[in-house]
Amino acid sequence: MDNFLIGLFLATLIISIFTARLYRLIFWYFVNSLMLGLLAVFIGIKVHDNALIVSGAITLVLKALIIPYVLKYLSKKFHLQRQITPNIKVHYSVILIPAILVFTFFIAEPISHMLQANPNDISISISSLFLTLILMMEHNHVAPKIIGFLTLDNALFLLGITATNGMPMLVELGVFFDILMAIVIINLLFKDTGVKA
Amino acid sequence: MIIFFLLLPAILMFIVSFVKTDKIANLLPFVSFTIIIPNIMLFKLPYPYHLMGNYLIVDKLGDYVFLVSSVVSIGVSLALMTLHKHVNIKKRAYNRFYRFFALFWLGLILSTLSNNMGIYWVGLEFATLSTVYMIKINYTSTAHKEAWNYMIVDTIAISIILFGIILIYASAKPLLGDNAMNFNALLAHIKEIKMPFLFEIGFAITTVGMFIKLGMFPMNLWLADIERASFYPVPALFSGILESAVMIGFFRFSKIVMQIDFTQLFGFVFIYSFLTIFIVAFLIYRAKDFIRLFSFSGIEHMALIALFWVSGGTFAALLHFGAHAFLKPSLFLSTGVLESKGKYHMAGALRGYKGIKGKIFWFIVGLFLLAIVSVPPSPMFFSEIYGFGAMINMAKHTHHMLAMIAAIAFLLILLSIIFYRFTAIYQSMKYGGTQEEKKVYSSEIIALIILAVSLALLLLPQSMEYLRSIS
Repeated sequence: MDNFLIGLFLATLIISIFTARLYRLIFWYFVNSLMLGLLAVFIGIKVHDNALIVSGAITLVLKALIIPYVLKYLSKKFHLQRQITPNIKVHYSVILIPAILVFTFFIAEPISHMLQANPNDISISISSLFLTLILMMEHNHVAPKIIGFLTLDNALFLLGITATNGMPMLVELGVFFDILMAIVIINLLFKDTGVKA
Repeated sequence: MIIFFLLLPAILMFIVSFVKTDKIANLLPFVSFTIIIPNIMLFKLPYPYHLMGNYLIVDKLGDYVFLVSSVVSIGVSLALMTLHKHVNIKKRAYNRFYRFFALFWLGLILSTLSNNMGIYWVGLEFATLSTVYMIKINYTSTAHKEAWNYMIVDTIAISIILFGIILIYASAKPLLGDNAMNFNALLAHIKEIKMPFLFEIGFAITTVGMFIKLGMFPMNLWLADIERASFYPVPALFSGILESAVMIGFFRFSKIVMQIDFTQLFGFVFIYSFLTIFIVAFLIYRAKDFIRLFSFSGIEHMALIALFWVSGGTFAALLHFGAHAFLKPSLFLSTGVLESKGKYHMAGALRGYKGIKGKIFWFIVGLFLLAIVSVPPSPMFFSEIYGFGAMINMAKHTHHMLAMIAAIAFLLILLSIIFYRFTAIYQSMKYGGTQEEKKVYSSEIIALIILAVSLALLLLPQSMEYLRSIS
């Protein structure tokens, strides 16, 4: 089950890179967060870690429900441009994405050997980091960059789950709080100028 | 109880910032003075003192950085009183600035006193996000663009730091469990860790994230752009408090790594710092306005502090750190007056001051300008002598003495370029240009005097002894 969820996590991230519409990107962020939340809950149940189950539940509520809703609300309120064509053309992305995946499997190999975790999970977590950076770089508009940054946080959370079976609860809560703060700041940045990003 | 007093000034400032009545809102700058209470309380405690279980720690290093940050906060909040007289800012935006200043302060108190990598990161991220809006308080399209830039660059930097922290945690968790996040536990058990390789990778990644946040090469332009676009108290806060919090993280992480692989740590930081100083020296030479000049100079000093620290010159690094934390915010705060006739009017910027306040202003700013390029008796003069001495001492135990001497000579050449530029600017400020009248306000003078006295106190034998005892 965890392999299935990690696979879907990666798949949603790859689709996000090809997406040229803002609402569709928000949808893929929602699916990405959903997979991550379910994965945390699933691993938490498997290793009997209540803190990880709570983190997964918070991820589901915050990242899979509240943040996508707020993002869509903000994009409507501030009339954000919905056509977000990526700067990297599709035929280059088709080559670039597998290259990143293969490259990260190669560089993550020595790390994976040291950890007791599944090597594939670590590699996918690290490749997700690179893919989110691509997502942030390939757009000129602010909105997809914000989603890229939120997905980057998802990728880090995935690495935390797969490499360490979750970080201490207080730290996880702090990270969630920071994400909420980021959303407030993003709202204020849009609000105080009415700039169409 | 101590936690309450630690967070009280920031929480009070946050609450008072919502008050719309002018009389109460005028209290805002004075709220910051309450930070003196926890500072006194912390200095009376036995070291190391744990707070919130084991999550926060008051040790000599943390206490020193906290004290320095508190003095800078007081100075900046005093100078903020006259911000509206130098720039165009609305009352509502002014209160908001204080609100986010309070949040920023909360985050940095957590980071500075943190004994846990995760809490350190959370505090740093919180402070970073707060500063995004502080940049935005300047209602211009450039500031708006730079606020977004800052948000994106810094979230990438902070994510890189978290990536490194996760790897460090993963390497130590089999041995230490949840305590693998704890700086002290890591320091005590680092040699028992079975995966030092993973720990080092984590450290390298974390350091790259921190160096991006400090504006070091190759990400050396974003910081100056952002500081230029914001109102002048923002760069003062960046250089005096935010950079201090990033630096204390570097100190704590590198202290652990020194135990397992000193050579690689030194090589990595040396190359990084050397390249940064090389690039920044020429950027300083080309700088045409005060904010960019001071911003690049800040990057140079951060690189020097990192270099001295990894060379074993703990005392030199901490002295340089304290001196920089007092000098740079003072210079940034003075730009409010210096740039009152336009941001490119460097020539004659130290002329046209009347009355006692004016004379004190130009005298202190003149001294600060010379002190920042290590003209004696600036604490930076002594820190650089001790720092380069530490580098030579370190090389004595290796076969690279000549290479080290050559590297130091090259560094001195780069520093002399910076010295030349600053003294040329000082001369043009004092003796060039036209004499135009500039207004200086009492709160600015008090802020500068507080920071100047703090700087002078660093030279006291007791302060020096305290700094030596940290190492």
